[in-house]
Amino acid sequence: MRIRVQSSLLLLAFSLVVVFSGCPSKPSPSSSGGTKSSRPKEPLLPESFETTPVEELEATIEWDTPVEWEDRLVYSALARFREQQAAKKVPATEEAVLKLKNDSDESNDKILGTLGRLHESGELIDYDAEIKLLLPSDIKSTNPVMQSSTYEGWVIGMTGLGFFNFDEKMSPYAPAEYVVSWQTSKDKLYDKVVIRDDLVWSDGTPITAHDVEFSYRLIMDERVPIPAVRTGMESIKDVKAHNDYTLIYSHSESLATNVWNLNFPVIPKHIYEKSVEEDPTLGKSKHHLKYEENPVCGGPYQFLKRAKGQEIILERREDWYMRDGKQVRPKPHFKTLRFRVITDSNTALLALKNGDVEDMEFQPEQWVEQTNDSDFYRLNTKARGVQWVYYYFGWNCKIPLFEDVKVRRAMSYCVDYDHILETLCYGLYPPCTSEYHEDSWAGPEKPRAPYKQDFDKAEALLEEAGWIDRDGDGIREKMINGKKVKFEFTIMCANQQLRVDICTSLKDSLDRIGIVCRVRPTEFTVMQEKARAHEFQALFGGWGTGTDPFTTENLWKTDEGRNFCDYSNKRVDELFEKAKYELEQDKRAVSYREIDDILWEEQPYTWLYYRSAFYGFNKKLRGYQFSPRGPFSYGPGFDSIWAVAD
Amino acid sequence: MVEDSANMKTESALAKLPKSPGFWKETWHRFRKRKMAMLALVYVILMAIVAIFSPAIVGTKPVIASYKGDIYFPCLGYYSPRWEAVFTKDKFRKVYPKNLKEKDPDSWAIWPLVFNDPHRRLEENEWPGRPKNPQNGPPSSDNFFGTDKGRVDVFAQVVHGTRTALLVGFVSMGIASLIGISMGAMAGFFGGWVDIIISRIIEVVMCIPTLILILALIAVIEQPEIWHMMIVIGVTGWTGIARLTRAEFLKLKQMEYVAAARVLGVPQFRIIYKYLLPNALAPVLVPITFGIAAAILIESGLSYLGFGAPPPNPSWGKLLQLGRQSYQNWWLILFPGLSIFVTVLAYNLIGEGLQEATDPRLREGGSRE
Repeated sequence: MRIRVQSSLLLLAFSLVVVFSGCPSKPSPSSSGGTKSSRPKEPLLPESFETTPVEELEATIEWDTPVEWEDRLVYSALARFREQQAAKKVPATEEAVLKLKNDSDESNDKILGTLGRLHESGELIDYDAEIKLLLPSDIKSTNPVMQSSTYEGWVIGMTGLGFFNFDEKMSPYAPAEYVVSWQTSKDKLYDKVVIRDDLVWSDGTPITAHDVEFSYRLIMDERVPIPAVRTGMESIKDVKAHNDYTLIYSHSESLATNVWNLNFPVIPKHIYEKSVEEDPTLGKSKHHLKYEENPVCGGPYQFLKRAKGQEIILERREDWYMRDGKQVRPKPHFKTLRFRVITDSNTALLALKNGDVEDMEFQPEQWVEQTNDSDFYRLNTKARGVQWVYYYFGWNCKIPLFEDVKVRRAMSYCVDYDHILETLCYGLYPPCTSEYHEDSWAGPEKPRAPYKQDFDKAEALLEEAGWIDRDGDGIREKMINGKKVKFEFTIMCANQQLRVDICTSLKDSLDRIGIVCRVRPTEFTVMQEKARAHEFQALFGGWGTGTDPFTTENLWKTDEGRNFCDYSNKRVDELFEKAKYELEQDKRAVSYREIDDILWEEQPYTWLYYRSAFYGFNKKLRGYQFSPRGPFSYGPGFDSIWAVAD
Repeated sequence: MVEDSANMKTESALAKLPKSPGFWKETWHRFRKRKMAMLALVYVILMAIVAIFSPAIVGTKPVIASYKGDIYFPCLGYYSPRWEAVFTKDKFRKVYPKNLKEKDPDSWAIWPLVFNDPHRRLEENEWPGRPKNPQNGPPSSDNFFGTDKGRVDVFAQVVHGTRTALLVGFVSMGIASLIGISMGAMAGFFGGWVDIIISRIIEVVMCIPTLILILALIAVIEQPEIWHMMIVIGVTGWTGIARLTRAEFLKLKQMEYVAAARVLGVPQFRIIYKYLLPNALAPVLVPITFGIAAAILIESGLSYLGFGAPPPNPSWGKLLQLGRQSYQNWWLILFPGLSIFVTVLAYNLIGEGLQEATDPRLREGGSRE
């Protein structure tokens, strides 16, 4: 039986885009709004809530085999955030911290510890505030099912519904703002979700399980040109609305990772049910164009205005958190969200200094050199945290130059890590020595010693592999199938100064031992296309972490979509299969660790560094914290950020 | 009085010179009188010298080295790795001062005037006693124009960037003149439908926006090199030259000596190249000079946008782009900016001087009549 390979989550797709385009990553947080100011310790669910008991439900469904259910976590991320912060002491007063310059670990801890908190009482918060967010590239569509880039993920994360999310440790949960209960069968073949009955679309129509079922069918409809979100959903066998508020998700296989495929976007059935038959592209008919301009939203915000290439303005939906005059959900912290489209990072920094945007991720040079003056600290402060986004040189393992593992190791010995990390990245980024982060459950048990530049070892390996300059032209060559092949190759990277500099450093190192390397800065989309088609010799790229190590399957399994380097190893393929069918995390970790060891041994990538998160925030903002996926893309993420009242 | 003395001079000059000065000589004579133009010419010649000898002016590779009994020119390694093959094999790894002494105590070397590299940073004691290049260092006695954030010397980059700038100017305008002069000559000489067709071609080519064409080409070409840019600038930049050549030919072909040549049965191509071209060339030099200036500007502009010569080839525009990102480092903007400005100005001054020297209407009233 051919097992259908489950490709990565949408999340990984997002992170890919982020990393390749070099922009901060805050993919699709399933927004759940803010916390009510008047009742800081609110119950997780409003009392008025009623739904069908699970037992009753069970009786009405015909299961193939008896199902044993396990309860999954359902909570309000904000309430949890507040509980966690109650246990932590405030290290300093706000006044003192706002005067502080972030130049040491201590001041960074103080800034995050003091400013990265939810408000204690409602008087502090400015619910009428507008937040101006940096959007490094415009969105193509406002329709949640059509999203394909990180930035679309950000915007749609605010306007869309999400029944599932994950916390800063990447453990999945269902937000209590949307979900009453969530259960998974012991064999992981079924998920049962009861959604709240007080949800409405922005046009006033109630949100029901039928919308979810409809969205699933629409996304899986081959006629609809879905660019990204279908990925990973093939493993869902069916999504069925049992009644108005109960959903049954069934999966084709019993996998620990099924949970990561549940979170697909939901769109209103009453808007699209008929029109999708007339116009499956969702973007051509008059009806669809109308809703593209002014979509019906299920999330805490809705579209107010959109000027293409300039800005997108979202406004808070009062009917999202108010129902019949009663507050049923935390009030979202901002009245309006203004996304400013600024592609150039220098311009973005100027905008931040002028208060035209209120957050941005910095390049290393910006953090070290350009954000220390009073000009920056006048309106802003900055903070940093870890982020599991690694960068690498990838070697195309199918071309004669790099098919030999010795050559790839020689390459790793050539790289001037010291120059790249200490000079070009200003010593801000930690080295990366594994596919899975050391702190993740699949990471190596003992931290590995990173490669160090060693030309002697590199040259010895190259000579062993047969690459020697015999004809005295200063370039190494080798006879392959009777033809002389010179060691010359081109490395592709995104056209961004830091990346070009890093590749140029590689070029300089290789130049010293008789290898010609040409640096080719390439436009992002072209680069992606070429990488997919394996039409390159070497590339410089990066990956953001997925929520689970299984998302790396499509990086390393033979012939997978994002296996740009065309890497193939039978044992790795087997181990991925093994880990996939294992339900216990500890046993899965053993397989992933072995995969990691093999990859490190074979060096299809030369792992370089983790791009930690370095952010600037306006002084009026509070409540930001960092997760391995940056400050926004987890629960609560963006939802915990608020503006202080004057 | 003045007239008298002038007459006297003319007479004595006539007595001394049996032959009257030729057109080129006369042009040169008049050009020489223009101080600014001469200054510019000297500057451009100086720049050309700097460009040609850049590896000997600033570099980390010896100009001449005696190593194990043979003489080598490692500085030419900036052009091709072949010149350094021996040293690469002997594991020099591009660090010469230390390795030369270590691997052959009898070796000697003549070093470039300034020891620094346009492509990479200098490590500590790479040159005995010299500290390593600082990161984002301001101008100092070791780094005349400061360093960038990769610790690479800016002076070395400006000097080696001269090559790129001048090469772009000369090669692209060389191509443009070749096309422009032959097209213009044909149109002007043959007239009739040839003229009509070529004139229409000129008009079409004039409509092509060079910058956008280059950007499009860079996206299409697999391995874009600086030569592609030069070719595009050349292939699109010949129209002005062609028009001027055409006008000159239209005028000249009516002259009596051409008619005489025709009557004598001189072949047409001989008439074009031998009789007409030398006389038509002087005014054409003017748009060529201006064209060189424009080409340098286009190259800098493209490099500034990040579409210039592939890294690590240093170029002035690329330095400017670095300066835009690291705007706190004024030296990254000042020195390459000044180089571009002065060079473009110099070409424009030369062009202007040529124009005035070759155009009789612009001559100062009767000084030589």
